[in-house]
Amino acid sequence: MTEPLVQMRGITKRFGGVTALSNVDLDAYAGEVLAIVGDNGAGKSTLIKILTGVYQPTEGSMSIAGQPLVLNSHSDAIAEGIDAVYQTLALADHLDPAANMFLGNELTTRFAGITVLDNKRMRAETERVLMERLGVRLKSLDAPTESLSGGQRQAVAIARAVYHEGLRVLVMDEPTAALGPQETARTLNLIEALKDQGLAVILISHSLDDVFQVSDRVHVQRRGRRAGVVKTAESTQREVLGLIVGAEEAA
Amino acid sequence: MTTMATNIEPKSLQERLEPYLAIIGPMVMILAILLFMGVAEPTRYFRLSNLNLILLDAALYMPMAMAMTFVITQRGIDLSIGSIAALSGILMAFLIKQYAFPAWVALPIAIMLGATMGLINGLVITRFKVPDLIGTLAMDLVYRGLALVIAKGLVLARFPDLITDVGRGKIPGFVPVPVVIGIATMIGGYWLLKKTYFGRYTVAIGSSPEAAEMTGIAVDRHKIYAYVLMGAAAALAGVMLTGKLNAIQATSAPYFNLHVIAAVVVGGTSLFGGRASMLGSFAGVLLLSMMINALVTLRIEFFWQSVASGVVIVSSVALYTWMQKKDRDGSRGLLAGLMTPEGQKLMRFSAALIGVLIALLAIGALLAGNPVPSG
Repeated sequence: MTEPLVQMRGITKRFGGVTALSNVDLDAYAGEVLAIVGDNGAGKSTLIKILTGVYQPTEGSMSIAGQPLVLNSHSDAIAEGIDAVYQTLALADHLDPAANMFLGNELTTRFAGITVLDNKRMRAETERVLMERLGVRLKSLDAPTESLSGGQRQAVAIARAVYHEGLRVLVMDEPTAALGPQETARTLNLIEALKDQGLAVILISHSLDDVFQVSDRVHVQRRGRRAGVVKTAESTQREVLGLIVGAEEAA
Repeated sequence: MTTMATNIEPKSLQERLEPYLAIIGPMVMILAILLFMGVAEPTRYFRLSNLNLILLDAALYMPMAMAMTFVITQRGIDLSIGSIAALSGILMAFLIKQYAFPAWVALPIAIMLGATMGLINGLVITRFKVPDLIGTLAMDLVYRGLALVIAKGLVLARFPDLITDVGRGKIPGFVPVPVVIGIATMIGGYWLLKKTYFGRYTVAIGSSPEAAEMTGIAVDRHKIYAYVLMGAAAALAGVMLTGKLNAIQATSAPYFNLHVIAAVVVGGTSLFGGRASMLGSFAGVLLLSMMINALVTLRIEFFWQSVASGVVIVSSVALYTWMQKKDRDGSRGLLAGLMTPEGQKLMRFSAALIGVLIALLAIGALLAGNPVPSG
């Protein structure tokens, strides 16, 4: 394998007296899906929030494509090509998909010397990105986002992240948690598509079925430490479950 | 790469109607009023001069309804607009009468003062974290109090032509000037809503404050913008009112708050945020003016207007809430809830309350003597 795109080394995070992460290493490769699994409180979210610039590590270092990576805010992370799609999706349900995709980052045009929103171009771009990057076509781009299915809403949220040209790492936090089987299958397809486009996809999930279906490697967190990393193809759900609950150590 | 054809199930009738709900509601009610008046009092209601009266009355509320649409869409409310209108009008009147300012300077000053009062409202809500309901209600007292302090009981009257033109002027062969102003502000509002950052972020903030925050929108700043627009619109209404009556006093415009909120809510803008309808607000303003005019035409006592406005607000909010409820299986009808144990308890409680009231009235009636006129 080539050099990892993202390297996190010796990451420790303390909140007051509580140590949420201690000495965690993480590697993510371009064109790969890395799943992060672990129990509640194992440090998955904290680890991801450090990678996306929301938290700053107490100790440890990070690098991206060989360059040192220091993130003071989430916008720093976006500038470095690291973005996340959260479980809540951060969509404004009353706005249409195009408005959501460009929320906070609208395309504008000049009309009689005044800067106005370019709704037409935003709609066309949304249609293009959804189709070309995610293979999703929405029947109506005019309907409010609340009328879309869970999977379609997910696609809109992902489209917002991938629209950024320099996106290299996409973190997906529990993307299938609220979806039915059919929608879950579609979302896993989306993840495959993003991986094929050369993104490093980091998937946080509670569902080992999903993890084994879509990931290349599994990073297991346990009690703030990295309990192990396994290649998905060479492992079993049983082995990963063992790492999650700590049975392997005991045995 | 995988390509998925996302199959969409055919839309139900309700889904197809959804986008037009905002305008259908008030339109049906307007039609109902027209039908009713067509039967009850057609000759006086459908006179051209009466149509003019309706439009003149509606025009006064249009700028405020436009701005209130933004405030309510952001999950806010402004209960200080009547006082802002009065105070701005009073201040403008003083500048003209006391200090002999030219009217064309005093008028924009009044609007800027209104905008400043809106700014204060916005800062109270966003910086001091006072909930909008309490914050603007308290500022309503402040602005009204200041108007009384400045004007005492005075009625300031007789203004330059510019002011009366704004309030009741008429473009020959065309509609009154205030109607032109009112409709222009409504069109401006529609443009703001659809084509600007401010409009887009207004809907986003009302739809999901968290999402707005996460996508980097300056939530507080855009909230303040809405209150500033509201203040400026209220001041414009104050100027229009001053011109219309050619007089202003500190107690003017007492019913602005609820009238404007009613118009916006009847028009389908959701009190729960995120759903804005400028066209609906326009229809709502027209509806309320037609309703009040109908009451006047039917020679119903003035004080019933307040009752009618209240009933319209409650029924339209209840109607929209019921129509937008996603899961309607659980509540087949309004009466179904009465059959549950909880419903029965509430029934017994209500019955007891009314029973006590009736008993007290009966006792009062039995013991009543001859009325003694007070004073």
